[in-house]
Amino acid sequence: MATSQKWFTAAILGASAVALTLTAIGFAEDGSGQPPKLPPGVSAQLYAISVPPDRVPSPQEVALGGKLFQEKRISADNSVACDTCHDLNKGFTDHRPDYGTSAGVGGKHGARNAPTILNAMFQASQFWDGRSATLEDQAKLPILNPVEMAAKSPDDVVVKLRAIPEYVQAFNAVYGRDVTWDDLASALAAFERTQYSGNAPFDRFLAGDARAIDEQAKRGWALFNGKARCADCHAFNTVNPLFSDQKFHNIGIAAHDRNFAALARKSVPLVENATAEQIDELALKPDYSELGRFLITKNESDIGAFKTETLRNIGVTGPYMHDGSLTTLWDVIDHYNKGGVANPYLDGGIQRLGLAENEIDDLVAFLFTLTDDRFAAFNKEEITRQTALKNTRPQRETAVVEGKKGDLGDAGPDSTLRNPATMGAF
Amino acid sequence: MSSRYKSVETRHYEEREAFFRNLGRLGSLSRRGFFKVAGISAGIAAAKGLITPQSFQLIDVAHAQGLGGQGFTFAYISDTHMYVKSLNDRFVRSALKAVDDVNALDPQPDFVLFGGDLAQTGKAAELDQGAEILKTLKAPVKMMVGEHDWFLDMGEHWRSLFGEPQYSFDHKGVHFVTLLSINEPDFWTARHMTAEERMSTVEGLDNPVQGRFEVGVAGRAWLQQDLAKVDPHTPVVVFSHSPLYKYYRNWNFWTEDAEQVQAILAKFDNVTVIHGHTHQLLTNRIGNINFFGMMSTAWPWPYAPEGLPRLTVQMNRADPFNAFDACGDGRFDVLANGMVDQLQNLWNRNPVTIRASYLVSNGQKDQPAATTLPSY
Amino acid sequence: MRLRTLSFSPLALVLCLGTAGNAFAGDDLPRHQLPSSPDGNLVVGLCDGETSVEVPGVKPGDPMTRDQAQRVADQLMGEWRRKHPGAEWTMAENAAPAEAVAQNDDEAAPAAPTPAAPQAQVQTYGAFTERDQAIWQASTEDLVAEGKRIFHDPNALGSTDAVSCDMCHPDAANTHPETYPKFQVQLGRVAMLRDMINWCIENPVRGKPFADDDHRLKALEAYIIAQRKGAALDYGKH
Repeated sequence: MATSQKWFTAAILGASAVALTLTAIGFAEDGSGQPPKLPPGVSAQLYAISVPPDRVPSPQEVALGGKLFQEKRISADNSVACDTCHDLNKGFTDHRPDYGTSAGVGGKHGARNAPTILNAMFQASQFWDGRSATLEDQAKLPILNPVEMAAKSPDDVVVKLRAIPEYVQAFNAVYGRDVTWDDLASALAAFERTQYSGNAPFDRFLAGDARAIDEQAKRGWALFNGKARCADCHAFNTVNPLFSDQKFHNIGIAAHDRNFAALARKSVPLVENATAEQIDELALKPDYSELGRFLITKNESDIGAFKTETLRNIGVTGPYMHDGSLTTLWDVIDHYNKGGVANPYLDGGIQRLGLAENEIDDLVAFLFTLTDDRFAAFNKEEITRQTALKNTRPQRETAVVEGKKGDLGDAGPDSTLRNPATMGAF
Repeated sequence: MSSRYKSVETRHYEEREAFFRNLGRLGSLSRRGFFKVAGISAGIAAAKGLITPQSFQLIDVAHAQGLGGQGFTFAYISDTHMYVKSLNDRFVRSALKAVDDVNALDPQPDFVLFGGDLAQTGKAAELDQGAEILKTLKAPVKMMVGEHDWFLDMGEHWRSLFGEPQYSFDHKGVHFVTLLSINEPDFWTARHMTAEERMSTVEGLDNPVQGRFEVGVAGRAWLQQDLAKVDPHTPVVVFSHSPLYKYYRNWNFWTEDAEQVQAILAKFDNVTVIHGHTHQLLTNRIGNINFFGMMSTAWPWPYAPEGLPRLTVQMNRADPFNAFDACGDGRFDVLANGMVDQLQNLWNRNPVTIRASYLVSNGQKDQPAATTLPSY
Repeated sequence: MRLRTLSFSPLALVLCLGTAGNAFAGDDLPRHQLPSSPDGNLVVGLCDGETSVEVPGVKPGDPMTRDQAQRVADQLMGEWRRKHPGAEWTMAENAAPAEAVAQNDDEAAPAAPTPAAPQAQVQTYGAFTERDQAIWQASTEDLVAEGKRIFHDPNALGSTDAVSCDMCHPDAANTHPETYPKFQVQLGRVAMLRDMINWCIENPVRGKPFADDDHRLKALEAYIIAQRKGAALDYGKH
């Protein structure tokens, strides 16, 4: 198919794509570690909070990190690199048509949908369950995970890289010493710290260009702040433009088709005594994975809770949710519209919304305006692809939405679409 | 070669199973509140055509030890404040959630206390709806009346549904008394109020026109006479909607004749008062009496500007985005020695345990988990 | 010989304190006994009856320049202030003006002209009476009362599920208006009090939010703020 050929070609040129990305950002060429000039939609305050001055990446480190990001030889059988699941050209996700979750060495599937690297640097924690506090911590875990890159141990990886002269050279040039495990993570994190993204049509709209997004998207933005009740968890303001509160909520995805009760019972003794690596493995096992944040905090109120992911570039980072179970943005809105999936730990903020079909369309239109311009073409394709699926709506339960059936729960008031700017400063 | 060359799934599954088998079950758990996952009650599940309920509860070791001998458990649901479903489905939803929670307890409690304020405006339709919902509880229910149930018709429909508001019973060596403690001196006749106006006045927590709650002369006489036959060493548990002490007058977090009621209870070694109305984490000890407040399923009240008992460890203030936050249900564990511990099942929050030993030691031992947010 | 009356600067315009003659009836008025100067210089006494200062180079009866006189006055004032630290030297409208008492002079110097009593500033805006204040206060309380009414009434709020504000906020408790503007988690951004009022109307109360210039919104704000009279402003407090 023409499309797949296109992606294949693009993948070959992956390295140059990285280089293009770098120049597009406008780096301080002297490598002084000055914070870069940021596009609209990326907050300088959040950059300052997220990137301490000594971690502002230098171009050399970034280049090394970019290479390592695409380096398959880090994996046990030389088949999987970071970009296998975090494809640079697909919004840094893998868009598998057949499966919601990512696959690693030997085609083994974990239980989680690879999140995007775009803006990951700004997140308060990494992974759907927040088990890594920093990008460096996060980079190490997939390398060791048996269903991802399956490396046997950190030493194995270091030994492999030390046998490759160009890496020995590069590491020495950047860090002044031979390849180490921590430096590897450092380099990857440095590359990820250049993957901020904020040049979306919505950003131009907020900056004052009233024609940057269409009327439908504007209605969607009003619904986002009003009847659809998105703004509490998918918080947006100019200091934190991520569309995420970085907290963990059980919205009922975990309870799809699963015996949640028995699962929670089995997990308590395991989680009490597990190490970080064991938790990491548990997190990717199909069943236990559904316990989400509980695996980390062991708080009862965190059972089935997952991190609110950023909505930036949501148009190009499908499928959706921690298990990739929702295929299109219409499915996502349907899920919220009916009040999620009932389970004993459902976040009390989730309730049926009572959105009509046109309101759902408005919301989806708005969400597609959050994609960075550099993925504009892919965004267009995704709009086409998802719109074609629009009439297949496995998540829709109209009777529940209208309150005629099911767990009752509130619906919002009749939508009085107000300009969101009247609801307070951004 | 080591076993790691089996298929990834097999290897890990085997290791996990081995790990699991090697752990002691209850013995390896640290001291925690009860941990439960609620299924859906049989009646509602049938109506929805859903799978059969699964239920699960892990009882913490210390509790299990404390219970020995005559120890037993009863659950509570309180202050549901329901309008008819067509007007307000949120409070009905919360009440159903509480029923699910209690029905999922395994083992089932000996009985369920309903703490008062079943209806919001005292209408017959609301009380009937509430009675229907409570019928789906598996365990037997002990009812207690609140002011929202009472002041529309002065208890007429309540009596027809649930019998006398004041009664006592003995259970496994403990003497239980349920009081009618939401009487108010007549404020409505002189003002020529209709029944609806009277009810509406009482509904307003901060409405100063209404009188202060009291057990009243007749109620105290009844209590005196009921307790006359009870040995002072018998543990006594009193169910009351108003708190039976004086916390904050303006909101009727108050019983006007509290001292007199406490005096009647003074002769006993060990008295526990369990009350509703306050919709917040609230505990107190006065003399020989431990006071435990029950949570509401419908909404939380803020802490009063003054009068909060020192022994109360406050709860974090509520998130209004979350319909269930700062609400919940719970259970009481009656220990072998007749002391009562309370376990608050706070929705979307970690459970909080308030032990009798905390109150008896005047706050020195077994402090409940504390809040981190400031109160305004 | 009479000392020529000196015109003091306004700063030095003084008033007899306590020991003024009019406190006593009868003939035995207290007199300021000025110390004599060994050099025969002029000694000037302050009307407090205690303080005096010698003026070197000036003999009684000599005229003084303005500067010299100013220095004398300043010295006397300084002396007085040293003796009475922190005290205020004020001018009473009707009291006798200050006098400089000459050394050998039994006669008082003629009084300086009495300054006019300060008049009230006149303008329409500032000239409000008690009646005005009563009316204004009543109007304010009216708005607060209207807000209280709406606060407690689900129908006035436009609620579709019979929920009113006082169900979670009796006496407007836990509304903390003094903490706005602040980041309001439920809105995901910084908000003012009225934004949160509208959010609550939309969400728990399930009504239609009020327009910014709606009288009802102002009334609600008035009631909420009135319940927190005296609470220190503490914007941004979470």
